[in-house]
Amino acid sequence: MKMKFASRWPPVPAGILIGISMLLAFVVAGRGIGASGAMTRFVAWVQHGLFPAATEQSAYFGRYFADGAHPLNDYVVFLLVGLLVGSFVAAWMSGELRIEVLRGPRSSIAYRLALALTGGVLAGFAARLARGCTSGQGLVGGAELSVGAWVFLMCIFAGGWMGAWFVRKQWI
Amino acid sequence: MIAPLAKTGVISSAMNLWLALPIGFVFGFALFHAGFTDSRRIAWAFYFKDVGVPVVMFSAIATGMLGLWGLSLIGFLDISKVYMLPTFLLPMAVGGLIFGLGMVIGGYCPGTAAASIATGKIDAVIFIVGFLLGSLIFGDFFPVWGDFYNSDYMGAFRLDQWLGMGLGPTVLIIVLIAIGGTLSMRFVQNKVWPPAEEDPQRKQVMILQGALITVAVLIGFVFAFFPSNAFIDDTVETPYYIIPKVSGA
Repeated sequence: MKMKFASRWPPVPAGILIGISMLLAFVVAGRGIGASGAMTRFVAWVQHGLFPAATEQSAYFGRYFADGAHPLNDYVVFLLVGLLVGSFVAAWMSGELRIEVLRGPRSSIAYRLALALTGGVLAGFAARLARGCTSGQGLVGGAELSVGAWVFLMCIFAGGWMGAWFVRKQWI
Repeated sequence: MIAPLAKTGVISSAMNLWLALPIGFVFGFALFHAGFTDSRRIAWAFYFKDVGVPVVMFSAIATGMLGLWGLSLIGFLDISKVYMLPTFLLPMAVGGLIFGLGMVIGGYCPGTAAASIATGKIDAVIFIVGFLLGSLIFGDFFPVWGDFYNSDYMGAFRLDQWLGMGLGPTVLIIVLIAIGGTLSMRFVQNKVWPPAEEDPQRKQVMILQGALITVAVLIGFVFAFFPSNAFIDDTVETPYYIIPKVSGA
C-alpha cells in the first residue's frame, strides 16, 4: 500500500503541481503549456522529409517552414521533451516502468490497440480543430478564463459520456 | 513588472527554450503522479468509476488561474504580454465533442499518452500513432474545413466579459464551481461504485486536500473584492492569428 501511495498522489496536490508547471510557463515564457502542438510539428517535419515542396506550400503546415525555420525548433517541442523525461523519472522512482498494454479485464490486446488507434485519430483531428488539446487549450484556456476553452472542456466530457457505453467492454 | 521573463527581456529567447525543459519535466512528473499515465484511470472518469481526472483538472486550472491573475494583480506579471487563447466558439465545441469521443475510445489525450509512452505503455504508443495520423489528415485536407476552423471568432473572450461581471468575482465563482464539481462527482462515484475497502490513509488525505482547498477559497475571496480594472486593460487587443485556407492568401 505504501508503494501505491508513493506512485499515485491524491488528485488535488497532483493537480496543483500541474497548475504550477503551467504557472511557471506563464511567468517565464508568457504562454501556457501544451502537448499537441509539438506533435503537429513532428508530423509536419516527417512529411517535409518525404515531400518537401508540397509541405512548404501546405496551407496548414507551411507556416512551420516560413523563412527557413525548422519545425522542431520551437517552445512546445522543448516542453514535450521535458515532459517525457519527467514522466520517465517519476515512473522509474516509483518502480513502475513496465512494458505492457493497459486495458480492462474483459478486453483483448488486439481490441484495445485497435481502439487506441481509432481514438488517437479522432483526438488528433479534434485537437487541431479546437486549436489545442486538454492541456494547451483546456487547462491553459481554463486558467485564462477563455470562454472557448470552457466550452471545449465541457464538450470533452459530453463527448466522452456519449461514447462511454459503446466501448465499456474495453474498460470495465 | 519583470514577468513574463522572455518578453520583458530578462532572459533571451534561447534561454527561454532551454527553460521549457524543466517546466516540461515538472508537467510530466505531475502527470505520472496524478495517475494520468494509466489509460484505464482516464477512461474510468467517463463511467464515474474514478473521478480523479476532473478533480486533477479542476485543481490545475484553479492553481493556474489564481497564480496568473494574482501575479498580475500584485504587479509581478504583465498580463498584456501573456498569450491569451482566442475563442472560436463552434469549432471548439465540435472539436471538444470529437476529442471526448477520442479520449473514451483511446483512453488518453496527447499529453498523457506521451507521458505514458515514457513509462513503457504500448497502448499509448498506438494512440500517439493515431494522433499523429489525425493531425496529418487535418493539416493535409485543411482547405476542406479551413472556413469552419476560422469561423465563429470572438477574440480573446473571457468568462467575466461574457457574464458581464468583474474578473475578481468570476475567479471566486470558478473556485467554487471546481469544489462543487469535485464533491458532486465524488458523491456519484461512491453511489455507482461503492469502495470495496476503506483506504487506511483516507483521513490524512482528506485533511491535506481540505487544507489546500481552503487556501484556494480564501485567495478567491480576496480576488472577489478587487475591482477588475486592477487585473487587465481590456482596451489592449490580444494578438492572435487566423490561418488562411490557401497558402499565401
